[in-house]
Amino acid sequence: MAKISIPAANIEYDCTDDTIMRAATRAGLGFPYECNVGECGNCRFELLEGEVTYLRPNPPGVTERDAQRNRYLGCQALPKGDCKIKAPLRDHYKSKHLPQKTQGELIEAFDVTHDIREFRFRLSQPVKFLAGQYGLITAPGVEGARAYSMCNTGESGEQWHFQIRRVPNGAATTSLFDHLKIGDVVGLDGAFGMAYLREDAPRDILLLAGGSGLSPMVSIARAAAANPALAERKIHFIYGGRTARDVCGESFLKELPGFGERIHYYGAISMPDDPSSAGWSGRVGFVHDIAEQMFGENINQYEVYFAGPPLMSQSVMKMLIKGKVPATQMHFDQFY
Amino acid sequence: MTGTSVYHRSAKGVNEERRVTVSGQKIELCKTADVAEGTAIKVEKDDLILAVFNLNGAFYVLDDTCSHGPGSLSEGPICGDVVECDFHNGAFNIKTGEVVEPPCMIPQKTYKVVVDSDTVFVEV
Repeated sequence: MAKISIPAANIEYDCTDDTIMRAATRAGLGFPYECNVGECGNCRFELLEGEVTYLRPNPPGVTERDAQRNRYLGCQALPKGDCKIKAPLRDHYKSKHLPQKTQGELIEAFDVTHDIREFRFRLSQPVKFLAGQYGLITAPGVEGARAYSMCNTGESGEQWHFQIRRVPNGAATTSLFDHLKIGDVVGLDGAFGMAYLREDAPRDILLLAGGSGLSPMVSIARAAAANPALAERKIHFIYGGRTARDVCGESFLKELPGFGERIHYYGAISMPDDPSSAGWSGRVGFVHDIAEQMFGENINQYEVYFAGPPLMSQSVMKMLIKGKVPATQMHFDQFY
Repeated sequence: MTGTSVYHRSAKGVNEERRVTVSGQKIELCKTADVAEGTAIKVEKDDLILAVFNLNGAFYVLDDTCSHGPGSLSEGPICGDVVECDFHNGAFNIKTGEVVEPPCMIPQKTYKVVVDSDTVFVEV
């Protein structure tokens, strides 16, 4: 067991078989992070005393400047003994439900589209989460964990459901899609992430998704629909795919009370000329353009949640900034 | 520095809105001598975590926490009117809060600065 101390904040916490950031989060501290897999660099800290090794060798988020300044990535740094660190703790990064390491047994799996599948795990120990958060899955035979957002709601925490998009030649999704059988067990850790449903926000809700960004947006739609405090809120869900066969999500929203009244779904494709888009009669364009056309200058009246490929997320953010949506009303995982 | 100097600084596009809130609450941040020319310090007041910059004797105040992540702008290198966040190397114009370099995309929040004699204030 190692003791990690942050002298500037007069804080000390235990870190056993864990990384410096994750142990802090489990201790209820607001240690900054986003991606949790060594890529985004938001969990940087300065090592004042002690030694660390990396869980993931040479994480891509490390820069040359980090080495010069004795900085490490908290999500990947394993202490070799007691350490003193400098890290900018913020309440924003505190977890409502403290993340835990657990295991999940696959109890059901079904295809959502040609490349998105929903995987349902029953946890060995229930772990609650907030709608929109993600968990880390360690798949059998795969080194390192991957972050995937849940699509169900986490008030009981007994099951975590994930809608995951297959990554061509990706080690983790190949294991999950091609080898994982009902009854098999994966490692789970979480929940993490700050892009969760704000139950106290007094605005209608806009959910924008593409690709596997489906999963957290479905979770938020489900939680918002079920929350009596949000009964007056309208929920608009826009899902963008390249072709007609990519478009999904409506079936999940149709199950919600209020669908077609206060809950609305809009599918859009960006490649109408592709043969697989033949017969498409819905909207055509990118998610950010569709949202801009639909909501115009009123878009800053919404609480906006979005998830999807980096290019989509960046385009959405540019559109929201142009639309004068305050940063406090934008919720997304800053994985880059 | 003597007398009262008013520096009106705000992100592009929100000047009009800021102008109508001139008589807001005045918060004392630091002494002018606390911030050497060409540098910045971090000041925490209530819920505000601010970076106070001194550019050639003029004071500018931005949110200290980068709009992109947890980086602290008061710890970033300053080059001319630009501060670089040392977390992801994004950069902002210190005078306007506008993004100069990605990955930051959201303009940094700026504050109206009032220098009264030897003391730096912001109006919020």
